[in-house]
Amino acid sequence: MIQKKVCMLGSFSVGKTSLVSRFVKSIFSEAYLTSIGVKIDKKVLRANDEDVALVLWDIHGEDVYQKIRMSYLRSMHGYLLVADGTRRQTLEDALALNERVVQEFGKLPSVLVLNKSDLAERWEIDSAGEAKLAEQGWSVVRTSAKTGDAVESAFTQLARAMLAV
Amino acid sequence: MPEQAQRRAPLGQPQPQENPPDDKHALEELRHLIVGPEQKEIAEIQERLEDREQRAEDVGSVVAEAIQKRREHGGDRALSEALAPTIQETLRESVRKDPHVLADALFPVMGPAIRKSITEALRAMLESFNQALEHSLSIRGLQWRLEALRTGKSFGEIVLMHSLLYRVEQVFLIHRKTGLVLGHVVAQSVSTQDPSMVAGMLSAIQQFVADSFDARSDETLDSLNVGGLEVFVEQSPDAVIAAVIRGHAPSDYRLSMKEALEEIQQQYAAALENFEGDAGPFLTVDDRLGRLLTAQLKDKQEARKKPVAAIVAVSVIALLAIGWLGYSSYLLFEWSRFLHAVRGQPGIVVLSYAKQNGRYHIQGFKDPLAEDPAKLLAKEGIDPQNAEFDLAPFYSLDDAIVLKRAQVMLHPPASVKLTERDGQLIAEGSAEPKWIARIEERGPWIAGVHGVDISHLQNSDWVQMEPLKRLIESQVLLFPLGRAELEPGQEIKLAEAEKNIHGLLAQAGTLNEQVSLELIGHTDSTGIEASNLALSAERAARIRAALLRGGVSQATLRPRGVGASQPLRTEDSEEGRRLNRSVTLKVVFSPSTPYN
Repeated sequence: MIQKKVCMLGSFSVGKTSLVSRFVKSIFSEAYLTSIGVKIDKKVLRANDEDVALVLWDIHGEDVYQKIRMSYLRSMHGYLLVADGTRRQTLEDALALNERVVQEFGKLPSVLVLNKSDLAERWEIDSAGEAKLAEQGWSVVRTSAKTGDAVESAFTQLARAMLAV
Repeated sequence: MPEQAQRRAPLGQPQPQENPPDDKHALEELRHLIVGPEQKEIAEIQERLEDREQRAEDVGSVVAEAIQKRREHGGDRALSEALAPTIQETLRESVRKDPHVLADALFPVMGPAIRKSITEALRAMLESFNQALEHSLSIRGLQWRLEALRTGKSFGEIVLMHSLLYRVEQVFLIHRKTGLVLGHVVAQSVSTQDPSMVAGMLSAIQQFVADSFDARSDETLDSLNVGGLEVFVEQSPDAVIAAVIRGHAPSDYRLSMKEALEEIQQQYAAALENFEGDAGPFLTVDDRLGRLLTAQLKDKQEARKKPVAAIVAVSVIALLAIGWLGYSSYLLFEWSRFLHAVRGQPGIVVLSYAKQNGRYHIQGFKDPLAEDPAKLLAKEGIDPQNAEFDLAPFYSLDDAIVLKRAQVMLHPPASVKLTERDGQLIAEGSAEPKWIARIEERGPWIAGVHGVDISHLQNSDWVQMEPLKRLIESQVLLFPLGRAELEPGQEIKLAEAEKNIHGLLAQAGTLNEQVSLELIGHTDSTGIEASNLALSAERAARIRAALLRGGVSQATLRPRGVGASQPLRTEDSEEGRRLNRSVTLKVVFSPSTPYN
């Protein structure tokens, strides 16, 4: 089976961990995130008629107190950039983080996940903004970790992008 | 494009004016002109394709490369699936035709494989059997069963956990850069988590440690310890081997890890460098990793230790038992020796014996003159305190006791040797007449004595007088032929005899003995018997007269003539005949009279 190292990047409380905890295989407790800043999970899916195992490095959310450890990202095959669609700032932060990642590791397959799509009434990113992101080359997926909407799709898109490299 | 230009050149000519059939022909011609060479090529290719032989040749020339390409592309599974039925059918057909071909080919592989498999199966069976035996009944075994119940693990797992010195439970081969797992092997009956996640986490921890403590790039985390578990980590430029070990592995285990890693790094150098998530090229690496799944049981060490205590204990018990047995049999032996001695002892009769409260109780009879049994005990080295005697007195008729009794009652003098056999008391030697009288009188009264034999017992007084008696009796007083006067010179002999007679009589007086003196007259054989008798009586009377004159009492002297009837010598010579013309003396002791 093909394996890929995938990092989950994004600010604190954008729902990265929720994305993982409900839809992937998990054996480690979340305490790892706060202790060593990363937690490994696994997601097996089928893309391009192949089974692919995504080894997910759920990187602790970045905030003012804690920068992410870039060494965890080393040699990843792709990443999910996660933002909270109800908080525009998290998207800004995610894109800023993306800049640093691209600078350090070059352009890699990635999917931008706008989470919490179930909270449509508080949505802060309008369709124009989303279109702009698409123009910039982002695959944007609106997900809801709560309802499970499009979560599979986000992972599958990333898997396809990585297999295409 | 000069060729194209050339082909297009005829287009400029006024051909469109021609009629339709001509047009068709022209078009055909034009087509021929334009695509003629290609058509030819296509026809050739078609011909090639239709020619089976040619096609087979074409495919045959690249089939090996094609398969190799396919495998490099990672599509080996599909390839294997495609080929499998054919290969299986081929093998089946080969076996059907001639089984020997395949058998011969497989022979070098089959033998070792079968042996290995059998050995392995036997070893596993023995191991589990031994462990089962060892652990099933002990207290430790029960504790482990409880633990198994408590933890929900199988008893086997618990046994293994406690009886292992160390056991490598899992080995991971991890791609160093991505943290993705390349290979993973697990020991039997070890439960594991998803290896890719564990491998990832291990890499994350590695990086966390490196980042957190500012370690240099060559400084890496090489072991983790969690309770009874230990994780050994070894790194090469592109790969990491992590071994999860229960217990404590010896330090040379790390060396085997390094060797394995070096081999893998060398063998898969390209695949490691170009790794993009496809672990396909590493399918065979598990075999190499499998060799790192070693284990060592504690039993070897314990087996060496255990028997020491056991042997010491058993030896001590055995020694004690042997000692006790030895001591008891020694005691028994001593007792039997003692009993034997007691039973052989004259004057003692053992009726019964028994052991009570550690003491021996002996019951029977004992003559007062028999040996004290307590003394016998002491002689045999037995503490007399350990024995109790209940012996009733009785008169024993044992020869030794009867003799002892006789001695006690008769007080024999030292010159007498007293023996006893079957009730006959025998006295030998010499004793005073007084004592002789006593044994004659009292002997038969002694219990156990039926008769007394004193035929070899001499009167000690007589023995005392014996020298003088002999001197007197040795005198021969000679007479001339036919006459009753002493030969001249014989007076001296007579005087000496007289002196000795006086001495003897004096001694007899002292000893209170009665002595008489026979004076025996002899003649030679000449002459007639009657006159010889008279002559001999006369000769004896002559000596009696002389002795009477010398003061010897008349009562003591008893003269008689025997003629020639008791010659002293044969008369074949004058000397013989001369000696027979004589008087000889004989001392006679009278039997003792009882003294009281």
